[in-house]
Amino acid sequence: MSSESARASSAAEARFRIDDANSIQRTVKVVALDAPSEAVVARLAAAEWGGAGFLTAAVFAAAPGGDMAVARIGERGDRSGQTNPLTAGDGADLVALVATAGEEIAAACVVGEACRVVGATTIAFVLTGPSTAHAALSRTLARLRPWTLMLTIAEDEDCIADVLRALRA
Amino acid sequence: MLRREQSDLLTQTGPGTPGGRLFRSYWLPALLAEELADNECPPVRVKLLSERLIAFRDTLGRYGLIDEFCAHRGVSLWFARNEECGLRCPYHGWKYDYTGQCIDVPSEPEESGFCRKIKLKAYPLIERGGVLWTYMGPAERRPPLPEWEFAMVPREHSFTSKRLQECNWLQAMEGGIDSSHVSFLHRGELSSDPLFKGAKGNAYNLGDLKPVFEVAESPGGLNVAARRRADGGRYYWRITQWVMPSFTMIPPRGDHPVHGHFWIPIDDEQCWTWSFDYHPLRPLTPDEVKAMRDGWGVHVRYVPGTFRPLANKDNDYLIDRAAQKANRSYSGVAGIAMQDASLQESMGPIVDRSKENLVSTDNGIIMARHRLLRAIKNLTDKDVTPPGVDTAHQRVRSASVVLDAEQSFIDGAAEALAVREGVAHSSV
Repeated sequence: MSSESARASSAAEARFRIDDANSIQRTVKVVALDAPSEAVVARLAAAEWGGAGFLTAAVFAAAPGGDMAVARIGERGDRSGQTNPLTAGDGADLVALVATAGEEIAAACVVGEACRVVGATTIAFVLTGPSTAHAALSRTLARLRPWTLMLTIAEDEDCIADVLRALRA
Repeated sequence: MLRREQSDLLTQTGPGTPGGRLFRSYWLPALLAEELADNECPPVRVKLLSERLIAFRDTLGRYGLIDEFCAHRGVSLWFARNEECGLRCPYHGWKYDYTGQCIDVPSEPEESGFCRKIKLKAYPLIERGGVLWTYMGPAERRPPLPEWEFAMVPREHSFTSKRLQECNWLQAMEGGIDSSHVSFLHRGELSSDPLFKGAKGNAYNLGDLKPVFEVAESPGGLNVAARRRADGGRYYWRITQWVMPSFTMIPPRGDHPVHGHFWIPIDDEQCWTWSFDYHPLRPLTPDEVKAMRDGWGVHVRYVPGTFRPLANKDNDYLIDRAAQKANRSYSGVAGIAMQDASLQESMGPIVDRSKENLVSTDNGIIMARHRLLRAIKNLTDKDVTPPGVDTAHQRVRSASVVLDAEQSFIDGAAEALAVREGVAHSSV
């Protein structure tokens, strides 16, 4: 006689798996941190998404009160979101930062702090090219590391769309 | 989450499928050399990539891997006599050599030349590092022989086993690039398994249950790095190698041998999990080899006379609920290999990826799927040789290192991630 595990893991039993949705739509914000990444994020934004919004770092700087206002949210414990673009609309469960290796990403700490304040899981993509120097890549990674749970380093920007779709954006 | 059609591309590897074409670009482990230990030993049935084959070693020691069934009336050549440089079907005496060429049809006049018109499909089979490797793609695209380090070191430096895994290859392999499960599923084994315990890195593993991940594309696949807190504000990095299509190398611990896997499809609902251990600088000790044979580390104990794990789905993996309750074992299943396999098989023969809810720590898995799909597309549309075929992509190592907080593993561990002759693995 076969065991419970043998029966339960058969293809025949798979048809009895509950087919109801097991999650609700996540809200994902994708933020371009530098000029080359803005073009990448613009291309991503042109596709169809379930719950993704696309921003540039400039939006954070332009928020009422500017950079410092965002940075101060945490200090005040004010989570009303008045000055934080991540709380606009449905907020953000996940924030995906997009950066280009070697580019200036001064906004990383402002955006990172904004993510921390709203408690969003933060990941980042660093796009490289065939001639990217290790030192330039390392500098970019060092700027992002304090804020992110997962860093992905890739040459191919298509991977961003695949990752976002896999994460149900 | 993966769409059904994407999942099909990755999970189906039979003849004529895009995923099957990808696997047929590589030299794949087919048998342990010990399965064909002697000239004229009994032939062995082999199913790979949904093709039924028979492997044998002829009178002169040449290895053959040919269609399992006699071209006459479809008898399995597992029943054949292995004699005088060929396999002879016991039904009517048709005989085949190691290339699949029929060399004798006793009922037909020799001068008719009939047997020259009969040839079974055959694949090359070569021995390297105690493993018999086959290449199942077109002859004109046959790549150079494999150069994985475990197969290139002296034989006494390595140990390889294989086990039947009763699920699709992809869900099994994805476990191999998912470092975040180690601190849960295998936590007990880090301090008890003779092939893991005693390493300084284990304390870092258990002391920081929220690792931070970095995934970087490599020429052959991915480096999946997990960063945990170490001492003095530094970080402990464990960097796993994944090389396409299905090779992984687990970061080492202390001076233990380093280990890794291949996941090779048998058909779409079963795969061979190949597990190797090796040390680049020294022979494995008798105690290490005994531990591997006894099923410790990444290896298993078998149902006698088979490559099926002793703990398997038919006996509920011998789950010990009392051990689980008492925290002697996190999952209740004994041994790292079967802790993984029991869960992967429980997903069903081919897991429905449209229902999954991946999170950011699954990025290694997502990126591997991305690279596999891209390689399949490039191969199918543009005939581009996939990553991992080039032997330079195979000469890689996993590593565990402690780096300063500001250091990137890409810089700090660059040398450690390549094979260096006469140099040990970088390990903590």
